[in-house]
Amino acid sequence: MARLIKTETEIEGRFEEVWLVVEEDALEQWPGGPREVVGRPAARADGLARARGQALFTADLRFPGMLHTAVLRSPHARARVARIDLTAALAAPGVRGAIGPGDAEMVDETCEYEGAGAAAVCADTLEQARAAIELVEIEWEPLDAVLDPVAAVEQGSILDTRARERGEVERGLAEADATVSATFHTQTVLHNSMETHQTIARWVGGSLEVHTSTQYIWGVRDQLATALGLAPDRVRVVCEYMGGGFGSKTNADDYTFIAVELARRTGRPVHCALARREEHVIAGNRNATIQHLEVGAQADGRLVALTGDFVNATGYAGWNSMIEGPMHALYACPNVRTRTNAAKLNLPPMKAFRAPGFVEGTFGLECLLDELAQKLSIDPLELRRRNNAEEDPADWKPFSSKNLLECYRRAEPHWERRHEVRARSTETVKRGSGLASQIWYGGGGPPSYAWLRLGANGHATVVTATQDVGTGTKTALAQIAAEELGIPLAHVTFAVGDTERGPYSTLSAGSSTLPSMGPAVRAAAADVRRQVLDLAAQRYEADGAKLALENEAIVFPDGSRRPLAELVGVLGNAQILGSGSRGPNPAGMQVYTFGVQVAEVAVDIETGEIVVERVAAIHDVGRVINPLGASSQIEGGIIQGIGHTLSEERLTDPATGRILTRTLDAYRMPTIADVPEIVGELVDVPDTHLTNLGSKGLGEPPIIPVAAAIANAIRDATGASVRSLPITRAEMLAALAEARERERRAGREKVPAA
Amino acid sequence: LSTQPPQEPGLVAGRGLRIVRPESFDEIGPGAVLLAGGTEVVPQLRDGLLRTDTLVDIAGLLPTGVSGGRIGAGTTLAELEASSEIPDALREACRLASSPQLRNMGTVGGNLLQSTRCWYWRLAYPCHLHGGDRCHAREGEHREHAIFGNDVCASAHPSDVAAALLALGATARTNRRALPIGELYRVPQRGAAGVTTLEPGEVLLELEVPTPEASVYLKAMDRKRWAFAIAGVAAVRADDETRVALAGVAPIPWLLEGPIDEATPLPGTAFKVELAGALVKRALASINST
Repeated sequence: MARLIKTETEIEGRFEEVWLVVEEDALEQWPGGPREVVGRPAARADGLARARGQALFTADLRFPGMLHTAVLRSPHARARVARIDLTAALAAPGVRGAIGPGDAEMVDETCEYEGAGAAAVCADTLEQARAAIELVEIEWEPLDAVLDPVAAVEQGSILDTRARERGEVERGLAEADATVSATFHTQTVLHNSMETHQTIARWVGGSLEVHTSTQYIWGVRDQLATALGLAPDRVRVVCEYMGGGFGSKTNADDYTFIAVELARRTGRPVHCALARREEHVIAGNRNATIQHLEVGAQADGRLVALTGDFVNATGYAGWNSMIEGPMHALYACPNVRTRTNAAKLNLPPMKAFRAPGFVEGTFGLECLLDELAQKLSIDPLELRRRNNAEEDPADWKPFSSKNLLECYRRAEPHWERRHEVRARSTETVKRGSGLASQIWYGGGGPPSYAWLRLGANGHATVVTATQDVGTGTKTALAQIAAEELGIPLAHVTFAVGDTERGPYSTLSAGSSTLPSMGPAVRAAAADVRRQVLDLAAQRYEADGAKLALENEAIVFPDGSRRPLAELVGVLGNAQILGSGSRGPNPAGMQVYTFGVQVAEVAVDIETGEIVVERVAAIHDVGRVINPLGASSQIEGGIIQGIGHTLSEERLTDPATGRILTRTLDAYRMPTIADVPEIVGELVDVPDTHLTNLGSKGLGEPPIIPVAAAIANAIRDATGASVRSLPITRAEMLAALAEARERERRAGREKVPAA
Repeated sequence: LSTQPPQEPGLVAGRGLRIVRPESFDEIGPGAVLLAGGTEVVPQLRDGLLRTDTLVDIAGLLPTGVSGGRIGAGTTLAELEASSEIPDALREACRLASSPQLRNMGTVGGNLLQSTRCWYWRLAYPCHLHGGDRCHAREGEHREHAIFGNDVCASAHPSDVAAALLALGATARTNRRALPIGELYRVPQRGAAGVTTLEPGEVLLELEVPTPEASVYLKAMDRKRWAFAIAGVAAVRADDETRVALAGVAPIPWLLEGPIDEATPLPGTAFKVELAGALVKRALASINST
């Protein structure tokens, strides 16, 4: 029976209460460990199609008569369109339509950051559109811009302020045997999805059809329906294959609104895609941060106080990412006080980027703790063990499951290597090891629904309007259906990515797709399994409650079997239909993922070159559905984290607020030559409180501790403390000079004492 | 004559760009945009830094290959990195440049004539090199910029190959003259845009590279591959003489004639003095040990 319940949902640290329709889900979790299909490595169902170029991404689609778009974007950090004339552009060869300020959402007269759209032109070819956009006559009135985050906070240009406190921080600090304070900086980084942000819009009768590269087809549908005043079912959003998003593709955004409006005006399908150079300006970013931190601890390493004063350089819009999250939830510290300001700047808005806030906050916190461990002469791994939180220290709710101590135990052999690593140092190349812990959400949540149909050949198709954003969602969910139905993985096909062809699914962000959709898929498969066994009971005159479905057969109490195909073979074109929904998360509990990483680095102390040689990653994300897909997530997260730590930075001109790093030679992501040996391990113990699966998400956890583990390894290798990302040659050489100076002074102070 | 259809979004070719293939260099007009490997010209066309309706494809006219110390200007970097006939410093400079795909297309002549990676120049800020009256990098974001020869323009010359050839004492031959590689470049001055001395219609044809006793090229990058030099150092020992030339530290390839401490870094490039100094020390140790 369907029930209406109120429950709390979480996306990347933002909590919301929602009303929810759920069906009773009385399924017991499977026992832990690998099963017939679940828990065993499965190659991507669409891997060959992707490798062969057969998978059609939004960027590949061509509709008859489709027009192409160029957008006139503001070249100023802040400016108003004083005058605009589209006449010449409209008269240019091939041009079919043009819009100016106010003609579509996010196309405005006042442009509050560089790259904000002011006009757009669509034409028969992209080249014609680009030629025509240069013919738009426009006069800009530049306006004063706020560019510096510290100045913005001082002037009150703030999007949001969040203060959180528990215990008595001043008393904690006063009672501490040791304190360490330090300031950390993290830079602005770009997602750089391989497929740039783009949309094709076409009107079919009074309905709108939108093909878009998105992590949330239902969110785009909702946004468009609201903006256009259409009934939601008049808007169809499709994304079958998606070329990367990392958090930056959860909204419709200007390219979608522009395509929709130009399609309406021209009566043609219209494609609007960001070029790479536009992608580097307005596709979103992980915002820069400034973190003033202090920690106090007893001599035994137990934390007594943590404080953080954080600034998120958010940009003109976006949200105040939960940078203080790790400080509040990772360790059992009684006194914690944080204040987080989101600076409103005339710079392109931030967007969620793979564990937003936690990546930046973990860098500061875990480097600070390493400095504390050094000061107290306590082994960094032991320091973290001593501060392990048994329940959520923020509100004393129990964790639904937590195996961080087991992660630490499994990290020991990797951590033990540090002596041998250090011993391989030379006069100029110093080696060392560092570690950092990880906490993140990743429990997923309702609402999410799935349908499943079983045909007369005993093959199943899962139908759900979720999206596979390249993480292997289809494969893992097919494994769950195959396991529940007792059929081979190859007999399960998957239909996703179309709001008109399947039930609602949550967005693919916050490591939530698998923990949200997996339980719904299992419930739908269980619904079909029950129906199959009911039919078997009738056909074979047996007690349905005593029948089982496994290995494509009905299994009777005496062990005899009848093939599934024999039972459902009579259906012809008829099908057995099931449906399932995601139940709520466990009430009164906190759902988190945990982990620890150990990095090994080599630092050339004369040139400042840093080479990450090895990263061992041990994470606890509940039950693992597909170990092969999971290893890809671990590798991808660590590689992206290495770029964040060492080489990637979006730079702006301090005078004008314009973006300088617009190409892939100026904005430096790691190459395959920069990838270290990566050893991934998952604890793989189901969370017995979480859904019918006990699985959490793994998309984000592996990127979280990378920067701190590398920075701590650098300290181990060289004695230098790096507190700013990325750790460029300049940063590394400066930190080495500072360490030498510190040592020299310490040596001088020691002399009189000796 | 042939017309090339647009190959990818954004290529200006869609606006009726023609490619002509002349029979001889005499047919090339003074303002012609020449095309060989295209790895620099095509991105500059796309970004509007070069504007033309006609590309002059000279790939078929350029000498190619390596023979007895002579290198055709149309030889690709990929061919040179695999050549056993050229000095170590030059081969290593080629190997460490760019990516395999770009080295397969890019020619050594084009590499010597490439433009700076200065982001202000690449974004068409009205700087000295674009005929303007200021250097935006000096006051702005200049962490990748020059530590020598930077009092007017702070851009850094990106060519690894040029630094190697400069240290090797190579000679360039054009369709009009022969000149030492150092004279191919000039430090940009106020009102004199450009960093090369080639005259209109002058085409680089060939390089003559003496054989040294020992040579080496060392390069510091932000990542292991496919990055321009933060600093590149070529060191050469020949006829009891040692020469050191640097990439990425001045608006032109820079022959180091005094101690590295004579550099004039900007606040954001001071680290390059230490970094380049360390590489120079290593490079000298390397050529003096072989």
